[in-house]
Amino acid sequence: MRPRIDPARLAAIAPTELRPGEDAVARFVAEVEAVAGTAEVVARGDAVDAAERAVLAHRPLRVVLAADLDARREALAGRLETVGVEVVHYEQADRATVAEADVAVTGCVAAVAATGSIVTGGAAGRGGALIAPVHVCLVERRRLFDGLLDVLRALPAIGVGSALSFQSGPSRTADIEKTLILGMHGPKAVHVVVVEGDADS
Amino acid sequence: MNRPGPDPLTSSTFSQRAHEQLGKPFLRRAVPKATDHAYNALRDRFRDHDYDALREQGRRIRADAVEHLDEHLATLVAALERNGVSVHRAADDARAREIIRGIVRDAGGRRVVKVKSMASEEIGLNPALEADGVEVVETDLGEYVVQLDHDRPSHIIAPIIHKTRGEVRDSLSRVAGRELPDDAAALTGFARDTLREAFLTADVGISGANFGIAETGTICLVTNEGNGRMCTSLPRVHISLMGIERVLPRLEDLAVMLPLLTGAGTGQLITTYVSLLSGPRRPGEPDGPREMHVVLLDNGRSALRGGAYQDVLHCIRCGACQNVCPVYRQVGGHAYGWVYGGPIGAVLTPLFRGMDAGGELPHASTLCGACDDVCPVKIPIHDLLHGLRSDRVRGDAAPRAERVASSLWSLAWSNPWTYRASVTFARVGTRAAARVPSGLVRRVPGAARWLDGRDLPGGPRPGGRR
Repeated sequence: MRPRIDPARLAAIAPTELRPGEDAVARFVAEVEAVAGTAEVVARGDAVDAAERAVLAHRPLRVVLAADLDARREALAGRLETVGVEVVHYEQADRATVAEADVAVTGCVAAVAATGSIVTGGAAGRGGALIAPVHVCLVERRRLFDGLLDVLRALPAIGVGSALSFQSGPSRTADIEKTLILGMHGPKAVHVVVVEGDADS
Repeated sequence: MNRPGPDPLTSSTFSQRAHEQLGKPFLRRAVPKATDHAYNALRDRFRDHDYDALREQGRRIRADAVEHLDEHLATLVAALERNGVSVHRAADDARAREIIRGIVRDAGGRRVVKVKSMASEEIGLNPALEADGVEVVETDLGEYVVQLDHDRPSHIIAPIIHKTRGEVRDSLSRVAGRELPDDAAALTGFARDTLREAFLTADVGISGANFGIAETGTICLVTNEGNGRMCTSLPRVHISLMGIERVLPRLEDLAVMLPLLTGAGTGQLITTYVSLLSGPRRPGEPDGPREMHVVLLDNGRSALRGGAYQDVLHCIRCGACQNVCPVYRQVGGHAYGWVYGGPIGAVLTPLFRGMDAGGELPHASTLCGACDDVCPVKIPIHDLLHGLRSDRVRGDAAPRAERVASSLWSLAWSNPWTYRASVTFARVGTRAAARVPSGLVRRVPGAARWLDGRDLPGGPRPGGRR
């Protein structure tokens, strides 16, 4: 039997792992920005404010909210409806309604600091932020893993459902003469809000 | 959408195809420009890391996967079935087409959306589905343009590397029914809107599989555009066509294989999207396909096990060997005549399509070994190419003069002093020849054919690599 991967060894040879002592949040923000996403770090009490600001910056008419926002979903829905934005709960809406949304807001199953990835799916479904041109994702600090190896080892215990999607920045293509274009089939803009603090929402 | 015309591999020679491609100056500029970008990004990514040690880990993982393929496949099949996936085994391309046509027919599928898959190119899937009246839409931007143009992909991960923006504009303008702007963003936007409709209305999504994870029963798909997620989330049926060798024993193996695949392929740390698909929609989930099928494609793969070419099964289809190959960089992927181009194509094509059809491809190489140096799983491509050349010579498929020359060369290079003598002879010989006007050299009896398309730059001093 081939031995399991040695984490310390892998960190020395793979840039998809953190270096010893490296700060996970700082690296995560830097990697999200390196792949043309945007990121901010907020205190626990400011999560809904930050999500609301990020959503309204895109002047949406309709916003899709995924179930994995948990208790924050009702709070955010109330704020958005107050300013006249139509709010759709993903699992309750039909596909045509979701397809016309301007912004999607989701939580995540996990996030990966070294690669700037958010991991969505599981019980919240595959399609919450599939189609909308803007994706705002709330990442609880406790869901942020250092590197690929940590997250892959943790996923079976987290319970991953039928599908997971690692996403690192906006959708991109360079098929036409290597010109980089953001927003091919997925979102053109991805904003990540890292929520500090350890308690569950 | 059927690809018209005869099979290029059997109806033309490499030399004919290469000459045709050499007449396209854009290709010779575009290929190095695009591929150097990926290579420089990779070097940048691994500036502070021991890339070679990561490649060694990748080699071990792939070697173990292929060495114990039966065991890992049995684990994969059991895990997939536990996850509610229907698993099918296809011994060859015809059987794979038949299985997929059956699944699409049973699902009442009228429209299929596809994620770029080299395995589906290998089995000629699209024409078979179209013959059943099914509309097939390729959703990777490059692959979509290839389909519109009845063309073939010319690079494993950059299918339209050979096309100019103007050509893409012409193709998409035909679909639009109006002249689209000559601007990559506008052309991409048009394709996005057109394909969006296809995603939302398709009955079946078909993908390949970058890896199949045995322990968890998971298909791993990487894309940058996001079409992989769309094709596996929206249609009610998802079919994944996976070469049997693409199995990885453990989920954690991705921590090594993903940075190798995306690093070698595009120079990215990770592709924008990595999907881990472990079955159809489960109770309590709001979406996802009702059915998921995995078609395990053999098509000549298991016959390579235990033989001289087993290592080619380690390949993860990153395209890096194409990027550095001095032959590929000049002639592009189409010159190789089949699905896989570049050094790995020159190995795979004769093995999959037979020596009669593909036997000349291993000769479309300088044996410089650049492919070995970049292969993220350290496949000794150069040795495999050399082995195939020897097989062809022994198998009588080569001209007699070439067989004699090859035996002499083999003899000369089997001990140090004859090796040095041969290199000195070659250096003196080529320097002398280089002083002769090339028109005269080409008139040397027996040399004309060999010298056609070759230069005599005078040869290096002995030593150099290896």
